[in-house]
Amino acid sequence: MKVLRLIPYAVLFGYVGAAAVGLVVLLALRSDGGVGPDQPIAFSHQIHAADLALDCTHCHQTVEVSRFPGIPSTDVCMVCHEFTATDRPDIQRLTRLHNEGRPVEWIKVHSVPWHVYFTHKRHIKAEIECTACHSDVTVQLPVRQVRSFDMGMCVNCHRANGAPTDCWTCHK
Amino acid sequence: MKRRDFVKFLGVTPGALAGSGSLADAQERLFENLLRPKQQDPADMWVVHQTTCTECPAGCGVLVKGREGRPVKLEGDPDHPINRGGLCMRGQASLGRLYHQERLREPLARGADGSWEPISWNAALDRISNALVESRGGSRNVYLSSRTTGSLAQLLDEFAASLNVERLPDLELFSYGALREAYDVLFGRREVPAYHVEEADLLVTVGADLFESFISPVRFARHVSEGLEHHLDWYHLEPQLTMTGTNAGHRIHLHAGSEQWLLAYLLKSAQPRSPLPARVLDAVPDVTIEQAFARTGVTPEQLQGLVAAWDAAEHPLVIAGGVSTAHAGGLPTALLAGLLQESSGAIGNLVDFGEAENYDSVGTPGELVDRVVDLASANVGVCFLSRLHTLAPVAGLQEVAGSAVLTVGLTDFLYPPTEACDLLLPISHSLESWGDVETYRGLTSVVRPAFTPLFDTVAEGDILLHLMAAPGNWEDYVARQWQAAGADVEEQPFLERPTRPVSTRLRAAPTADRLASSWTPDTLEEPVLAFSPSVRFFDGRSQVISLLNEIPDPLTAVSYGWALSISEDDAMMQSVEEGHVVQVSALGSEDFFPVRVHPAFDFAVLSLGMEHAATAALPIDANTGELIRCIGGVELGRVRDSAVLTVLSGSMDASGRGVLPNDVHHPPGVEAHEPGHEPRRLYPTPEHETYRWAMAIDLDKCTGCSACVAACYVENNISIAGPDEHRKGREMSWIRIQPYLDGDRPIEFMPVMCQQCGNAPCETVCPVYATYHNPDGLNAQVYNRCVGTRYCANNCPYKARRFNWFAGQRPEPMDLLVNPDVSVRPKGVMEKCTFCVQRIREAKDHAKDEDRIVLDGEFTTACAQSCPSGAIVFGNLLDENSEVYRWAHSENVHRILEGLGTEPAVYYLRQDNRGDTGHE
Repeated sequence: MKVLRLIPYAVLFGYVGAAAVGLVVLLALRSDGGVGPDQPIAFSHQIHAADLALDCTHCHQTVEVSRFPGIPSTDVCMVCHEFTATDRPDIQRLTRLHNEGRPVEWIKVHSVPWHVYFTHKRHIKAEIECTACHSDVTVQLPVRQVRSFDMGMCVNCHRANGAPTDCWTCHK
Repeated sequence: MKRRDFVKFLGVTPGALAGSGSLADAQERLFENLLRPKQQDPADMWVVHQTTCTECPAGCGVLVKGREGRPVKLEGDPDHPINRGGLCMRGQASLGRLYHQERLREPLARGADGSWEPISWNAALDRISNALVESRGGSRNVYLSSRTTGSLAQLLDEFAASLNVERLPDLELFSYGALREAYDVLFGRREVPAYHVEEADLLVTVGADLFESFISPVRFARHVSEGLEHHLDWYHLEPQLTMTGTNAGHRIHLHAGSEQWLLAYLLKSAQPRSPLPARVLDAVPDVTIEQAFARTGVTPEQLQGLVAAWDAAEHPLVIAGGVSTAHAGGLPTALLAGLLQESSGAIGNLVDFGEAENYDSVGTPGELVDRVVDLASANVGVCFLSRLHTLAPVAGLQEVAGSAVLTVGLTDFLYPPTEACDLLLPISHSLESWGDVETYRGLTSVVRPAFTPLFDTVAEGDILLHLMAAPGNWEDYVARQWQAAGADVEEQPFLERPTRPVSTRLRAAPTADRLASSWTPDTLEEPVLAFSPSVRFFDGRSQVISLLNEIPDPLTAVSYGWALSISEDDAMMQSVEEGHVVQVSALGSEDFFPVRVHPAFDFAVLSLGMEHAATAALPIDANTGELIRCIGGVELGRVRDSAVLTVLSGSMDASGRGVLPNDVHHPPGVEAHEPGHEPRRLYPTPEHETYRWAMAIDLDKCTGCSACVAACYVENNISIAGPDEHRKGREMSWIRIQPYLDGDRPIEFMPVMCQQCGNAPCETVCPVYATYHNPDGLNAQVYNRCVGTRYCANNCPYKARRFNWFAGQRPEPMDLLVNPDVSVRPKGVMEKCTFCVQRIREAKDHAKDEDRIVLDGEFTTACAQSCPSGAIVFGNLLDENSEVYRWAHSENVHRILEGLGTEPAVYYLRQDNRGDTGHE
């Protein structure tokens, strides 16, 4: 009888334990999944940013003046790709989209929650390297989220650099 | 599920769970700008277009602020000659019309069973063209619209001429029939002149509701506010209390229908500056002060005071209008006001026909009735009904429309006139189409499409051009009109042309005759039913906008639903109580109205909002053709049942608590204290280094118009709670107009928002530190940290905090009306005024780029921006040169419940003594 009475506790502990393990696994997966999402076009930062050594701002043109870095529109791509690598299926798909006037539906990799105000401009002006948050995208194919974008990461960096830590600096 | 999908799912769910589903969805995928603009615009850049508000005929200039291809906020254009930056509640909320779920989205045709069925544009237009061709066999085609000016009026005339269509006089409920008729009799000018209130030193308004619906409310609010700085003395006489009346220095109640007696007395008693012809004077009855008192109910002292003020003033201006010219004595009232203007030398300067309002095409309901009688016996081929929200004022019009071979409605909603229609053509909102508005002679403002149409809608001009088979489109047509005037429609937001001075001569004979023939000695039998001007719905057309229903009527404090407002004495005499649902005898309709008992309302006057006049068939004044808005001898019918009125303002009694200035407050420079003891401080007073954001509100300038409330809703993504929630006392507005009855005026309005206290009582009770005092002096609220205990709201002495009992409903396409800089708050979270922290953040970001601090006047909050009378200033209290510092350190300043030691950052300015109000 005593054993029977313990069964609910065992079940409860089982659930809690499983949930805890699950949570740890999930958190681990969230911060570094190892593999980024499949993008509609297999864009390689390695070719563009490492091999060709294009500056980040070559394509992300508003990163210094705006909260948003600016995902380049297809005609930025077509400046080169009208002539370059036109034999690749992905480039042909890009060209087709461009000619049809349709956007590339990129899957968003890095995002902050709805209640966060984040501005690229201020961080670039403070000379924070892109890699500080995005890690080295030239070795990621496809791009994935390497660092966790949780509040701890933000606050630690803000503290280390003497940036404001008032809640309303970042929370909207 | 693949692991990768699972990870993706995790990435998205927190946002979705948080209740902002649409935003989270939008984050999932990235759409780059399809075609790169000349310079790639950052996604967080405001795109601003200058255009003109078309929510009412006033034609205020607006700046449309757009993000990501959609308009999200309207602001008054500071450069526009009419409003100079202010914008009323209706203008602010007019985005709710653009994004309304029930807006017509495609052309509709009446099906066999009477229901609406979609039809293509080509098929619909072909049907009209064919019907126009068939009508050549002897039927008449008619075109009826609301007030139309500028290029569209021009095009309509061309359309009418080329396709054999009769253009009926435009239908407006506010047709200014009495004023136009009077000025026609007096000076041969059938016009509404410009009244230059700003140049007067004494203003006497008789029934003219300057701040609600009379001609141009935002302009009047600004001019009166400017006048107050030059000590403008203002007498307002009216039968029923209006928001305008509550603002006048001297507000005097008179019996409905007795206005002509008062003006006759004033005309005969005051010193004339330019004497009137004897013939005219003879036609004006001699009124003794006793007679005037007996008829009007205005006491001899008040009458003498009025005459003395009139004689002492250098530039007195009398304006009659509103309900006072909308009854059987309306024409003599308007005539006598015109004669007073003539005898005081105001005609030609303060009353300016050179800049007359453009009501050329507007008919009176009376004129339309005549046309309808004429049409009733004819065969009507095609009947166009354009931009009309009601046909009720014109008897027989609905029948004529119903009997036409083809009735075409050009509209944006299924307003009642569409019941008579066979075909509905959805017209684009003014933010989606070209056009222009000629408000008054000398000013034409452009209407520019700020964005692509949301739905399959077309501009009215394009429909007309298509039916005319004319080359070019509406945009080209407008551009050509502007080019002909030597202007560029792309570049100039408005076109001001010099006006010629108009010489006027009083026509003595017709004046004397008409005065004698129209003089009615009778005043209306009490109790009187008056249709009060509505600052929220204008003439009823704006009632479709949900936000305007959510904001309480400043006067009655009722938000949702009709209400029949009566005084406490009337309630006692009629044995009704607040909330009783009664019938009103004079209306002859089956409608029941819940009663609102209001202590500030005048005895023997029952008032309904003007929006109800849009549904009731009101009688028409034979003299002027205007709708009669004052009906005598009404009786309340039986009490059917009772209803809960949506009144959220709580107590209207300031009770010496320190809300309005009293003993609790102190002379400047003396520490605030409750009588007898200093406030004890449990916490250190916060110190501020660079900024202490603060606000100052001049209660003498505040008219209670609630433009700030609407502006705040739109700017801050405040959700609309709806009638059921309001009935439970739950409101979401961050700023409210609190009415108080124990001030100097009949009702004193006080805008109350979060006071951003230095020692905020809300902060200390939050168990999760979701609200705190930030370094800039703001009482911050962190939404994602809030767990919804509501302790803060309970501890807030200003009732400034709002709780999200439910997630706000944003029925598609209202979900597009979101300011992306402000969170959409999920269910279970507390929210309140942030002093527009998103604007502060933007200004600080901009200042930091230039390595300086934010300058005074660089930006302001949404409420201060919208205020028509400039009653709100916002800025940095640490900057001794700032406007807010000057206001906060002026005399007559107080803070609400200062004795609590909360150290609010909102300062209220108010003269302690505003003089005799004449209010009993």
